[in-house]
Amino acid sequence: MDKLGILTDAAKYDVACTSSGVDRKGDGHSLGNCLAGGICHSFSSDGRCISLLKILFTNECIYDCKYCINRCSNDVPRATFTPEEICTLTMEFYRRNYIEGLFLSSGIVKSPGFTMELIYRAIWLLRNKYHFNGYVHVKAIPGTDPELIQRLGFLVDRMSVNLELPTAEGLRALAPNKHRKNILTPMRQIQTGIHANKEELVVYRHAPKFVGGGQATQMIIGATPETDYQILNVAENLYQKFELKRVFYSAFVRVNEDKNLPALPGGPPLLREHRLYQADWLLRFYGFRASELLDEGRPFFNVLLDPKEDWAVRHLEEFPVEINRASYEMLLRVPGIGVKSAQRIVAARRSAKLSFEDLKKIGVVLKRAIYFITCSGRMMYPTKLEEDYIVRNLTSEKDRIRFGSDGMSYRQMSLFDDGAFQRPVTARERLLSAVGHV
Amino acid sequence: MRVYQCEDSLEGIFTAIYNAYEDKSSRQDTMISLTEELYLFGEYVPVTVDVTKAVKVMNTLHRRFGEEDYMKVCLALASRDEQKAQAIYQTVALGLASCCGKGHLLDNLADDYVNKVFFLSRAANNELCHLRGFIRFSELENGILYSSIGPKNNILTFLMPHFADRMPRENFMIYDEGRDLFGVHPAGKEWYLLQDEEIRLRPETFRYSEEEMQYRELFRHFCHKIAIKERKNLELQRNLLPLRFREYMIEFR
Repeated sequence: MDKLGILTDAAKYDVACTSSGVDRKGDGHSLGNCLAGGICHSFSSDGRCISLLKILFTNECIYDCKYCINRCSNDVPRATFTPEEICTLTMEFYRRNYIEGLFLSSGIVKSPGFTMELIYRAIWLLRNKYHFNGYVHVKAIPGTDPELIQRLGFLVDRMSVNLELPTAEGLRALAPNKHRKNILTPMRQIQTGIHANKEELVVYRHAPKFVGGGQATQMIIGATPETDYQILNVAENLYQKFELKRVFYSAFVRVNEDKNLPALPGGPPLLREHRLYQADWLLRFYGFRASELLDEGRPFFNVLLDPKEDWAVRHLEEFPVEINRASYEMLLRVPGIGVKSAQRIVAARRSAKLSFEDLKKIGVVLKRAIYFITCSGRMMYPTKLEEDYIVRNLTSEKDRIRFGSDGMSYRQMSLFDDGAFQRPVTARERLLSAVGHV
Repeated sequence: MRVYQCEDSLEGIFTAIYNAYEDKSSRQDTMISLTEELYLFGEYVPVTVDVTKAVKVMNTLHRRFGEEDYMKVCLALASRDEQKAQAIYQTVALGLASCCGKGHLLDNLADDYVNKVFFLSRAANNELCHLRGFIRFSELENGILYSSIGPKNNILTFLMPHFADRMPRENFMIYDEGRDLFGVHPAGKEWYLLQDEEIRLRPETFRYSEEEMQYRELFRHFCHKIAIKERKNLELQRNLLPLRFREYMIEFR
């Protein structure tokens, strides 16, 4: 029990742990199957999903990364699992539907190769002796023998190599034992492995699958002075050149006292992390490029507007967009219209002319979209297509066009909505009312 | 106006749709009702469940709209809404009349009935996806895994195949408290549904195995430890995991 506590505590800062990407039916005798969408089994009090049993094999480590709670110079309780313990824990939790699978990472004992071998043995046991058929995600440790990664790849669903920090300089400053080249080598190896395996699967349908769920990575945000623009470019490169499934961003949490780490009086940079995830989605699902969202002149995201709104108000020449005629790609670029609503609009406009009422039913967020769209050539309200006006309306709560309970009224009237109440009472008026003239 | 009155079941509603077609009634002039409610100038036609008719409707839906849309209609039928039969009848009739083709039954969201079916189906599907994750099994003394749920929609039928596929070698049982319905899966065999009246099962008398409490405690400890306290956000947790599920989940007890 204490062991589980220690090794969970040690693993919790790792964010790359979804259970998606693999669709595998049960095979009729062993335990487990996988769904492409992934399944969240619970949510912890920080609102993050608990999907996999996220543990470290051991939290002993020979490295001394400044940001990490398990660095060798920290005085924390240390523990190590045996492979059997990991297997029974996974099986028993899985049977009770507590978890969707296993996420196994580890501190470095002796050498990267030795640690990887330990992980391999545990996973092999889980797959072959305990006949576990659910989701398994492991961390590939940079600096391991490529042959071992190759073997492990056939046992797991997803592998990830942590980039840790977006640039090589940052890595050198905070993780003296890690090198960018060492991190990128296994990443490239897994990519080529997946490619070779795909070709094999075309020829032999029952060839074993190599890392079927693809690979992922994570970056720590806010520990080093990189700009959002740099981070987003790195992410774009990873998606294009390394064909990663996901890049995760992890707001830096200061767990160690170290002079090289920034002090964060306002807590972890959660808004920055949020904006990066929003931009990440724009890259992957909305057809945006990193250079469209940010550039060297403006290397950080707007705090008040999300990246899509920000892009839209800077490109007003593209708007307004006519809902009944615009291309799917253009619909995706309108703030307030997501992938699902864009698909529904395209499907629904085949059989009927859409009005604003219909858009609301479809699920478009009108309070963001109204400034940018027309239905049959008309805007919903007379709004100005002007950067200042739109930004003011999108950001300030007070001046924003009010939506009634039906979401359609131009401005909610109320008994106290009189302008006179807003004006402060002057000294003269007070005097007049005191003597009974008002 | 003709009002077909049928019972609230998949077979009942499909039979009513079949009868409405057989009578060649016009779509605008027909209603399918699950209640005893009376309508002005209504001509009432009681419907008795006929499985062969229901199967014919099922096959037609399959053939004309494809597997995916058929599943969506079935999920909408699992809803608690009283207007669902009418909405589904109108949607299907519209789809058949306009020859919309496979996978396009629920495209026309500007139509009120289609919209209704779409949202009922989505709500049921969302609950299904939630419960796939949020169900908690407990091991009983005799090694059977037992779980109770209280869903809004009648989705036990959709939930069982998932777990039967996942745990083929386990004896397990899911109990829907609101509907008094058991889903039973004997190891290595097909699963089936049981209504409580046929067999006296008393969930409150079940006794748990010795290890059960240990694993519960371990998981509670895990959930507690995995949270990062610097990022605490109870509102986000509540949005993603609504409170109504928590009474059945061991980590929140």
